[in-house]
Amino acid sequence: MTTVLAYLDPGSGSMILQIIAGGLAAVAVTAKLYWGRLMRFLRIRKEEPEAAKAETARGTDPG
Amino acid sequence: MSYSERHTSAGPSPSKAGPGGAGLEPGSFRDPESRVFYAGDRVYRALSPDGLADFEALAATGLLDDERVVRTERADDGVVALGDLLVHQPAGILRHERVPFVSYPYEWPFSMLRDAALLQLDLLLAALERDMVMKDSTPYNVQFKGARPIFVDIGSFERMREGEPWVGYRQFCMLYLYPLLLQSLKGVPFQPWLRGSIDGIAPGQMRALLSFRDRFRRGVFTNVFLHARLERRYADRPNQVKQEVRRVFKKELFVSNVRKMRRLVERLAWNPPEGVWTAYGERNTYTDDDTRRKEDFVREVARARDWRLAWDVGANNGRYSRIAAEGAATVVAFDADQGPVELLYRDLRGEADERILALTMNVADPSPGLGWRGLERRSLADRGRPDLVLALALVHHLCIGANVPMSEVVDWFASLGAALVVEFPTREDPMVKKLLAPKREGLHPDYEIDFFERRLGEAFDVERSARLQSGTRVLYYARPKRG
Repeated sequence: MTTVLAYLDPGSGSMILQIIAGGLAAVAVTAKLYWGRLMRFLRIRKEEPEAAKAETARGTDPG
Repeated sequence: MSYSERHTSAGPSPSKAGPGGAGLEPGSFRDPESRVFYAGDRVYRALSPDGLADFEALAATGLLDDERVVRTERADDGVVALGDLLVHQPAGILRHERVPFVSYPYEWPFSMLRDAALLQLDLLLAALERDMVMKDSTPYNVQFKGARPIFVDIGSFERMREGEPWVGYRQFCMLYLYPLLLQSLKGVPFQPWLRGSIDGIAPGQMRALLSFRDRFRRGVFTNVFLHARLERRYADRPNQVKQEVRRVFKKELFVSNVRKMRRLVERLAWNPPEGVWTAYGERNTYTDDDTRRKEDFVREVARARDWRLAWDVGANNGRYSRIAAEGAATVVAFDADQGPVELLYRDLRGEADERILALTMNVADPSPGLGWRGLERRSLADRGRPDLVLALALVHHLCIGANVPMSEVVDWFASLGAALVVEFPTREDPMVKKLLAPKREGLHPDYEIDFFERRLGEAFDVERSARLQSGTRVLYYARPKRG
């Protein structure tokens, strides 16, 4: 059943926005994650402790 | 789009009368599942079968016992009072606690609207945890008991349906978020906007009010600019969009959007200009002979009997409202200037006060009746009469500042039917001189103490009067003439 159940019109644009807003948050988190990886790859940022430990075990210079 | 009613509360003037003198609340008709009506001084809500099922689900969650929600109980005997006021017999009847004085968001200072918004979001989050939602989000569903906000629309809670987005999001923006943004980003008071439009500020309008720079402020790009653009783009495809959205929407997304909104609202701030703080602070500490006399005069009246509802018109920092509260169950402190009302509300909130309601209202231009037939939101005069009125440092502002003839002012006092404590500053008073200074010589010939006393004596029995030490201010305690 797909009848509109609300007595209040939620607004089409307003509904789409809620998905995009949620999506934007997801994109932001993903971007942040990749940004961190990129920085580490370029050796601009230090390794995070956990990753660093693993790397040290393999004998890489911790930076 | 639009909202539900609603105020549980004070006051007569229902639109239609039932058998036991019962009447439907004229502001409660938008939501077909639940309808407020009055019988005597009791407030009831008639529920449809769906409305009743939602109520039972709500009762099972325990949210009804939350102190942020209006006291509510099943009262199916109320159906007798209802008679045939409704087309269908209701499936159930609820009875609500009465709020002492109904107020509307266009009478609230910034922090009151913000606190109402936070209450709305917190209850929505609490509902979501229990697999329920709220079908709307309007500040008209929030009332204040002193400085404590209470959610009064039990009919707003309903069982959650799979894939349903936040239906009240757009309404939240129009009636809460945009007014708050307008005042905090632009310094423009939101009250005239809310009073001007019962549905609030539309996304497209809000966008037009903001500058390019504003879109970099937190939450503005998404909730205003993007929102307005999407609204324009998808306006003609409602059904298609709704079905698609329901297919992909998840509860987690709902919760995260509401949380995000809460963080945004929590950070919004507005402060009155510097001068207001200074004046507010001074008046709280500074005590001269005149002030002491005035306090004693008001205190004696306040304690003379148990007053039900006192109005302090031109309350400023609430000094005399607090004294009135020593003898009155409820005090409404009105001031035309939002600044001191904001500061008074913050203080009262800090004290967890439930007796003094601080509102911004200009009595020379009071709240009118609004909405359908001008009855959905009541005019000030229609919201329960006071039995005590304080009018201190007010008359000269009305007569000289707002050009209201002296006789009109006294007639208005008399029309309230309440006992009156009124202060008359003579023409020699510094404040009166200041108000008269920019005016043409010879204006306001009626602003004379003899004329005032004659008019007051015609409309009231003047019980006592006292001239303050400085000699330019006189206080009167007057009671309405009988018959």
